[in-house]
Amino acid sequence: MPQTLTQLLDGSVLAMPIAAGLIMGMLTVNVLMLVWAERKVSAWIQMRMGPTEVGPFGLLQTLADMLKLISKQLITPSNVDKPLYHLAPLLAFAPVVAAVALFPFSESTILVQNDYGLLFVFAFGGIAVIAIFMAGWGSNNKYALLGAIRSVAQNISYEVPLILSALSVVLVVNAMGPTLSSGDGVVAINGLDLSHIVMTQDQQGIWFVVLQPIAAIIYFISALAETNRAPFDIPEAESELVAGFHTEYSGMRFSLFFFAEYTNMLIVSMLAVVLFFGGWDGPVLPGPAWFFLKSYAVIFVMMWVRWTFPRLRFDQLMTFCWKVLIPLSILNLLATAFVIAVL
Amino acid sequence: MGYFGNVFGGFGSLLSGMSVTLRKFSQTVIRRKAVTMQYPKELPELAPAYRSAIKLIRFEESNSHDCVACKACERICPSYCIKLSGGKVEGIKKKRVAEFEMDFALCSLCGLCLDVCPTDTLEYSKVYEEAGYNRDWRVDLLAEFRDYEEEFVAKQRVIEEKAAAEKKAKAEAAKKAKEAKKKAEADEKADNDSKEELS
Repeated sequence: MPQTLTQLLDGSVLAMPIAAGLIMGMLTVNVLMLVWAERKVSAWIQMRMGPTEVGPFGLLQTLADMLKLISKQLITPSNVDKPLYHLAPLLAFAPVVAAVALFPFSESTILVQNDYGLLFVFAFGGIAVIAIFMAGWGSNNKYALLGAIRSVAQNISYEVPLILSALSVVLVVNAMGPTLSSGDGVVAINGLDLSHIVMTQDQQGIWFVVLQPIAAIIYFISALAETNRAPFDIPEAESELVAGFHTEYSGMRFSLFFFAEYTNMLIVSMLAVVLFFGGWDGPVLPGPAWFFLKSYAVIFVMMWVRWTFPRLRFDQLMTFCWKVLIPLSILNLLATAFVIAVL
Repeated sequence: MGYFGNVFGGFGSLLSGMSVTLRKFSQTVIRRKAVTMQYPKELPELAPAYRSAIKLIRFEESNSHDCVACKACERICPSYCIKLSGGKVEGIKKKRVAEFEMDFALCSLCGLCLDVCPTDTLEYSKVYEEAGYNRDWRVDLLAEFRDYEEEFVAKQRVIEEKAAAEKKAKAEAAKKAKEAKKKAEADEKADNDSKEELS
């Protein structure tokens, strides 16, 4: 039985192009639909109608926008640091594509099986920070630089509670038993393997959002900050910083940043589904359907939050992270460890 | 409130904020209550007092306007945007306007022409999609009436002839009545005279 797509295509020359094409196609459709959904959700929350003209319900609006962006001239401002300026969009774009490949859409639909998937997802998230700083620094523009500085400070701070809350889930998974019965038979449990996290929830019949509600909330808040979304969107706060780190980018380079931003949304919500909402676990419908249904539900909440709350001030943002989220997530981790040790 | 009170209280207030937006969201989605007007597809209902360029009213009974070219509006207009001429029309007694031009670019929509019109035949129109490629905004207010002018004159002539005939008949009747009265009086007088003679 083919376990993963890589195993299915193993040895074939076409393995890489097919896998890359699959992911790119999926992500492109995802981004197009997410931008449309974002505009619709914001419109409905504000009692407007959103895009209605291009295609049914305005569904093709983003496609038209994308075609326009592709057809635009690539402008390179004269005083930019050329290598950094050109490399940054690619570096922002590549890791998010790579990270998506790690997710288990169902027990048998995994593009890349990796025993340390969780770590890899966070590591790829870390590369995005470098890309943003490269863009801000290379642009040679004060707004871009300020946006990049803010973004780096924010992302590094919020990665701490993000990882700490994920870590308490890993502790729970590891405590659930030394072994796990999977498609391959009985295997040693590994809390850092994304599919093991889901399988544990499946077999214990309980989603970790019930066992770890505080971790789930902290994860969600930090994920909003990680993806630079409102109310934590100060890196590109348009009322103060023009467009933040991508001020000097236009055309397809800009849309690569945009692509990365919306794919990041998908990644953090897929990770939330894996960690807290039982992954592909669900009745009747096939695994991937459940997985994506749950992911898009989380994304809907992210949009809902964005169109509800105003943007935080920078000091509020930092205070909130260091004085609230990090202490609470450490407390939560210690409490989890304590309970596991006692039981 | 301590530290944890602050944190959880704050979280509660966030949730109440989100409930507000969710309520608006569901109102728009389920009850289709979006406030947007899809402008070129659906048109706004203008207020009764909406003011746009003036126009001549078409009265139902005559199927035309009632302008008698008195030039009151031309005289009172502070922006000098009305130009009209007219006068006697062959065949009828009533005076009619021949040219009525109004320059909307100059009009300040003050409404004095409406107030001063003796026949109340001017009103504000409700046109609002008035974008143009040049500054020429002279409007011929009679454009929609010219085709009906002959018809109106014919009708008016009938009305006037009828009125004249009625008037004539009335006058004759009055004359007859007067004569009859005179005769009666004369008769009475004659009677009285004969009585006096008798006595």
